Amino acid sequence: MTFENNFINHSKEYIFLDNDILSNQRKKIFKKIIQKNYDKKNNESLKNITISDLSKFNYFYKPIQEKSQVSLIDDFNYEIKVVNGICKNYEDDNIEIRNLTSLDFKSFLNQDNSNVDDIIIDFNKIFLNSGFFFNIKSNTKLHIRLIHDTSDNFTIFQNNFINFKKKSEVQLEDHFNLTNNSINNINYNISIEEYAVIKHNIFQNFANSNKLYLTSNTVCEKNSSYNQNTYNFSDGFVRNFHHAYLNGEFSNASLYGCFFLKNKNVCSNKTNIIHNAENCVSDQTYKGILNDYSKANYYSNTFVSENAQKTEGYQLSKGILLTDNCSFFSKPELKIFADDVKCSHGSTIGPVDESALYYLRSRGISKNEAMKMIISSFIEEDLQNLDKDIAEKISNNLSDYLNCLVK
Amino acid sequence: MIFLNINNLNVSIEGKKILNDFNITINEGEVHALMGPNGSGKSTLANVLAGNEDYEVNSGKVIFKDVDLLDLNIEERAQKGLFLAFQYPVEIPGVNITPFLHASINSKLKNEKKPEIDNLSFTKLLRKNAEELGISSDMLKRSINTGFSGGEKKRYEILQMSILNPEFAVFDETDSGLDVDALRIVTEGINKFKNPKNSFLIITHYQKLLEYIHPDYVHVMRNGKIVKSGDISLATEIEASGYQNF
Ligand SMILES: Nc1ncnc2c1ncn2[C@@H]1O[C@H](COP(=O)(O)OP(=O)(O)O)[C@@H](O)[C@H]1O
Ligand SMILES: [Mg+2]
Repeated sequence: MTFENNFINHSKEYIFLDNDILSNQRKKIFKKIIQKNYDKKNNESLKNITISDLSKFNYFYKPIQEKSQVSLIDDFNYEIKVVNGICKNYEDDNIEIRNLTSLDFKSFLNQDNSNVDDIIIDFNKIFLNSGFFFNIKSNTKLHIRLIHDTSDNFTIFQNNFINFKKKSEVQLEDHFNLTNNSINNINYNISIEEYAVIKHNIFQNFANSNKLYLTSNTVCEKNSSYNQNTYNFSDGFVRNFHHAYLNGEFSNASLYGCFFLKNKNVCSNKTNIIHNAENCVSDQTYKGILNDYSKANYYSNTFVSENAQKTEGYQLSKGILLTDNCSFFSKPELKIFADDVKCSHGSTIGPVDESALYYLRSRGISKNEAMKMIISSFIEEDLQNLDKDIAEKISNNLSDYLNCLVK
Repeated sequence: MIFLNINNLNVSIEGKKILNDFNITINEGEVHALMGPNGSGKSTLANVLAGNEDYEVNSGKVIFKDVDLLDLNIEERAQKGLFLAFQYPVEIPGVNITPFLHASINSKLKNEKKPEIDNLSFTKLLRKNAEELGISSDMLKRSINTGFSGGEKKRYEILQMSILNPEFAVFDETDSGLDVDALRIVTEGINKFKNPKNSFLIITHYQKLLEYIHPDYVHVMRNGKIVKSGDISLATEIEASGYQNF
């Protein structure tokens, strides 16, 4: 089904049909896309995206509410199952969970002046069919496991809001259970209030026929901290685009990602940190291991506005290319309009260090084992900063990946 | 048994000939020293023995413990009992010393069809040997050679040797860059390890090291081959008047 037919045939199924602002936006975006009034060549949001995936797909969506769940493992430990974009409405002293209402969305659209040129977000707006709202209350200390369950052939266009209230301290985990042929275009709007400390771990490991376009926009207020870790072991296409706005002084954000590609897997990554206040620290680091014919890109971006003095902003990209046929394109960018800043970026992409391989083998370790040691060492230091069970999960995924190397 | 016999070995790299009909025989329990000016091919020899794939062996034969060494790959040579202490040990951040060395010793034991050593016994052995070499147990928690001083790197090479227990160890300028104290610790390590069953090839520039180690033979190498062989007095001669007479 073409993009145009999808829009016309299914437009009664999208949510917020009564919302004027959104419906105007939808029409405008639809026109822009249909008239191809967007830059295809220099558009970072389209990098490594197969255009036909956007211009032609089978839109299919039916909400299944009864399967969604909120389970309490203990008083501070939640497991939330979001099924085809729908969650179960729930509230207690720590957290409020509900499906998005028109009211939630209206206030968002009114303030949404993001001039980010991102065609994936355009699609999200056009086909929007689901979304949830989480409110994590002040002074809570929680662990939240969020499981995205998407049924076969479903196309999810989801816009989510998470508010972390003052002084909340949360570890949020995102897991994607995608089985077959699903398209998941998910946009997070995260707001982190003063003194809140948030750790956000995202796991992506799903089969080849699925696609995930994950975007996040996080706003950090004074003295808050946002630490995002993305691990992508997927065979299916993944786009990770993550933006953080440091709007309050003494806040910090780190956007960290790691991907492990094989076969003809593709992933597209971008991080973007905007310093709008003084004394903030940011860190953007993506690391990738690429095998076979896989392909990846990583754009990193630090923007320091003129009043954001005493900024520290770091960027790093690292890649190991295991064959001559894989590729990793990386492009760091710094835009600095303040004078008292400490910023840096670095990039090392290349094959496995031959001299390290030689050294290990010269001690009797087989070539395969030596490769595994070197590749594991690539993310070893990062695992040390994670909780034990998460680190273990990643180690297991990594050894599965490494076992595939042995051919 | 032929312990080590190198016969008319010719080696080149990027088309440039480096070893030129190189010959040497080393028997069980012997200590040989190899001296020679910079660029004469000493490190090349060491790396060719270890199996470095950058070098091209054009002709010649290397027999080690009755097998054709050149038929084995890098790790097989190590498992067979060959050890190279590198001139410039490489830093490998993120690969921890202890599990690495544990994997090394076990791959060797496995190859010898001996039972592998368990974690606890290995840790004990490693601690004991490290202590003898003045290596702190703190250092054993670190990544391979990462952030080590020159002396620490060399000491760590000796520690690996003491664990892996090779029959034949090649030391490539292990003494270079060491102060007197570090040199003493390193040579003590080598001497303690020496026994009638294992052999050494010690590559060095300086007589100093040989005073501590007492080689059975000293060879002088120039332009890819041995030009003179003798005893420790050769080293004394080089110390006095350089390589110009060879
Ligand atoms: N990787 C290499 N690529 C090119 N030339 C090399 C390489 N390694 C060694 N050589 C050359 O081979 C010769 C012998 O070097 P080497 O074996 O390191 O000598 P030594 O250890 O005796 O100083 C030198 O001329 C050196 O430049
Ligand atoms: Mg040398």
